[in-house]
Amino acid sequence: MVNYYLARTAQALFTVFAVMTLAFGLIRLMPGGPMDFVRAQLQQEAGAVDQAQINAMVEVYTNVHPEQPLLDQYVDYMSGIMRGDLGVSMWYDRPVSEILAMALPWTVFVMTISLAFTFGIGISLGAAMAYAEGSRFDSISTLVSIFLNSIPYYVAAIVMVYFLGYESGMFPIGGRISSDVTPGLNIPFIASAFYHAALPIASFVITAFGIQALAMRGNSIRVLGEDYLRVAQLRGLPPHDIALRYIGRNAILPMYTGFMISIGFMFGGSVILEEIFAYPGVGFYMFRGIEARDYPLMMGAFILITVAVVIGVYVADLTYGKLDPRASTKGGDREAF
Amino acid sequence: MTEPEPTTTKMGRPVFEVEGASVTYDMDRGVSRVLDDATIDIFEEEILGVVGESGSGKSMFASSLLNAVPPPGTLDGEIRYHRDGEVIDLLGLSPEQLRRVRWEDVAMVFQGAQSSFNPTISIRRHFEETLEAHEYDIENGLEHARQLLADLYLDPERVLGSYPHELSGGMQQRALIALSLVLEPDVLVMDEPTAALDLLMQRSILSLLENVKEKYELTVVFITHDLPLVAGLADRLAVMYSFKFVEIGRAEDVFSNPKHPYTRALLNAIPNLDTPRSRMHPIEGSAPDPVNVPTGCSYHPRCPLADEQCEAAEPPLAETTDKHHAACYYWEEAMEEIELSIESDEPAVDDTVVGRQSDEPVVSVDAVDVHFEQGGGGLFGFFSDPDTVHAVDDANLEIYENDVVALVGESGCGKTTLGKAIIAAQRPTNGTVRYRGQDIWGTRDGRVDGEIPWEQIRRSLQMIHQDPGSSLNSHRKIKSSLEDPLRRWHPNMDPGDREERILGMLEYTGMSPPTDYALRYPHQLSGGEKQRVALIRALLMNPDVILADEAVSALDVSLRLEMMDLMLELQDAFDTSYVFISHNLSNARYFAGNADGRIGVMYLGELVELGPVDEVIDEPLHPYTKVLKWATDDMELSDRIEDPPIRGIDIPDPVNPPAGCRFHTRCPEARTVCREESPSLDEAVSAHPTACFREYPMEHPYWDSEPVDDAEETVTGDPIDAG
Repeated sequence: MVNYYLARTAQALFTVFAVMTLAFGLIRLMPGGPMDFVRAQLQQEAGAVDQAQINAMVEVYTNVHPEQPLLDQYVDYMSGIMRGDLGVSMWYDRPVSEILAMALPWTVFVMTISLAFTFGIGISLGAAMAYAEGSRFDSISTLVSIFLNSIPYYVAAIVMVYFLGYESGMFPIGGRISSDVTPGLNIPFIASAFYHAALPIASFVITAFGIQALAMRGNSIRVLGEDYLRVAQLRGLPPHDIALRYIGRNAILPMYTGFMISIGFMFGGSVILEEIFAYPGVGFYMFRGIEARDYPLMMGAFILITVAVVIGVYVADLTYGKLDPRASTKGGDREAF
Repeated sequence: MTEPEPTTTKMGRPVFEVEGASVTYDMDRGVSRVLDDATIDIFEEEILGVVGESGSGKSMFASSLLNAVPPPGTLDGEIRYHRDGEVIDLLGLSPEQLRRVRWEDVAMVFQGAQSSFNPTISIRRHFEETLEAHEYDIENGLEHARQLLADLYLDPERVLGSYPHELSGGMQQRALIALSLVLEPDVLVMDEPTAALDLLMQRSILSLLENVKEKYELTVVFITHDLPLVAGLADRLAVMYSFKFVEIGRAEDVFSNPKHPYTRALLNAIPNLDTPRSRMHPIEGSAPDPVNVPTGCSYHPRCPLADEQCEAAEPPLAETTDKHHAACYYWEEAMEEIELSIESDEPAVDDTVVGRQSDEPVVSVDAVDVHFEQGGGGLFGFFSDPDTVHAVDDANLEIYENDVVALVGESGCGKTTLGKAIIAAQRPTNGTVRYRGQDIWGTRDGRVDGEIPWEQIRRSLQMIHQDPGSSLNSHRKIKSSLEDPLRRWHPNMDPGDREERILGMLEYTGMSPPTDYALRYPHQLSGGEKQRVALIRALLMNPDVILADEAVSALDVSLRLEMMDLMLELQDAFDTSYVFISHNLSNARYFAGNADGRIGVMYLGELVELGPVDEVIDEPLHPYTKVLKWATDDMELSDRIEDPPIRGIDIPDPVNPPAGCRFHTRCPEARTVCREESPSLDEAVSAHPTACFREYPMEHPYWDSEPVDDAEETVTGDPIDAG
């Protein structure tokens, strides 16, 4: 078991390392990449400044020193990232790490709530559908789930921001909080945060819960046919216990993997979603970075998103064995030989 | 433990009275009656064996005793349960009363122990929640559970702390028996409790069951398809055919003096170790469909004695002689005309089968090891140390033309892996496998430049699997499945010839009309027919060797002989050799014996005994073969089931096999030298190769060595301390 944790940790670290190297490679090697772009921009802006100064500024901006040998540059860049130095944003003229540190909590906030609602609604609806298998409720819910799931979340987002934001004015069309609340643990602040996050969360949840409900329905129906359920009923266990410990637990287990994948999906999706709702989270800044050719910012956001996904999946992997005892024993069925 | 005359004293008060119990399902095709008017009394502290083939309604009878027929089935009739003089109408109880009766008074053990436990909670939790649900005291209940587990030769703390998947199949099954007894019920209904287990484990569990039954004063209803298995255990036997009881009586009466033609035919169809092979006969025909049961006696289409009366009216289940009931008009004639193979007066000698084996081996296996690595793997596999499973160690075997070699052993002994190595479906870790003298894997890798191309070798070595259902593509017609191999290996064959050949084979194997069968899908065939198609598919390649991996185990008892006969017949026609893998010594004896073949006994990856069928069966030399024989030998009714002649029930972990002779941890003859030294097959001076020091020349240090003392023995990977 200890070996498994070690191997899994090493794998996570390796993934992060590989992504950083990839980011470095993009910055350093791509023709017409960020360094040329920064240099051209500086030359345009300040024709009087001499070449040495421009080179120094490029270094500051991109955190890469062009005269150094490749290996030294790589070591410098990597050690910069280790210290949390992701370069300075050209557009905002602030360190990238500072910008991302401000934005990250908001993205995590929206994502966590979205995931909770998606799986909460999906699992409860799926269980209810399985219980009433074949009924009218089941077929209508299946239809609705498939329909909602086939709408892309950004289409839902645009429709909502148009009707509920611009047309009716029920919800704000941008920002994270109202300007008249003081940040802190006070009710107006929290209420305002939820009020502003409502539409992004809604567009995620409405388009994502359907597939989870269908998965839960399928899993539950499969578990309902298992022998151990019949044995549990004959043993006279209370229906409540059977529903929770026998059906619920065994039906939810396979969805845990889907949960892991959702973490990555939502982080990636935040780029477009936060732009539509003008919600300044990590995705919003990444989009701005792309738009403004602000390569340091873009790379920083890219690395941050990757690290977050890797950590999410890592934690999910390590905890899976706690949920499903079968996953924690390697080898399993030895009688196969 | 054994009582001299158990049956007479026990026919006391009934604990169950079942009258006219029927279970029906409404289906599109009509009403399916899967239990038809069952009437039987079950008496206190008896063991009632209910015997029937699959689809005979025996599981429905089991469920009825708990009024737990799976929905949407409906149970009619009357089932009365007697509890301390009080009579309970089982079908008239409220849900809460029924919940109380189940498990507190009548408990049930199912076939698949693995699927009877919730995989995500521990065994202890299973016990606790059962006790909680019935408001028993948890502490006392768990103490009782520990006692039960210990009675079943399990280490209570270890088992309670485990999750279901951490236990082997046999341990799970015993834990399930303990779970069913934790509320101290009076009646235990067991539905095929040992069918998924090895013979040896089945036997061991039965002998434990008998002890537990005596100790806790239980009434046991034991449901099985295996008549000989339960014959020694049960006080009374009830035989089911086509959803009805056709014969009920004392175990010794039903077993040695059956009166219903079906019971007699069934007994003759079951391979065993004592009866001459020539006297075993399959039952013709197949069991009826529950929607379309024949009128009159449902057995009449298969019965040699049937006449108009049997077709017109159903014979009642009537008392024939003292407490022996049979549903047949002609039971007296049946006893005369259908001769039982075990009690025949003719001398019990088989015709000597002369094999037609060649001198040169087709396939020779030379010092082959097959190891599997567990764990590790993946990108970071080098962080973990993989466990090596020694599936096969140092195997030497030669297969001749027209040969039959039967490999027998418990599950996990490596017999399938060795079989696959023989037909070049598994690359050996060490050693060489040769086809007509040419290194197979060398040819495959291009290292050896032989005369025989790899494709021809591949074609010459074929396989049929255990489960015929999953080895045929369910979405393709039989004809398309059979055409593939021909198309691949004879691309120039005319489509007309191809079809003719397939139809000819179908006809030959008794599937007629062949044009009809060729256009069916696998689900429209019975299990035996599917297995025949798999056999045809392998034979179309004109192979030299066919690996038959438990090829008859999934079939009904009455069909096994038929299938084996067919395989032997085809051997004559096609000059094929078989490697026959089975955990069942009787099947191996029947199959290999009828072709003058050999039996190879495997234990934990090693061949421990290899010799001609009759020698191995009649005079087994290796202690392990003797144990297997004990587990199979069952046609003797006189002696009750005794304790197994083995020191541990569970097989050691193949990842960490015991040092020295691998069998020494369980061997009743083990001496200290067996712990350090490992015997080999070829050094023995016995009649045939046997890997045991007892068959070595007399000067071997074994005979001066001390017997192994159980007390000081540290058994690796085996938690059981068998007393």
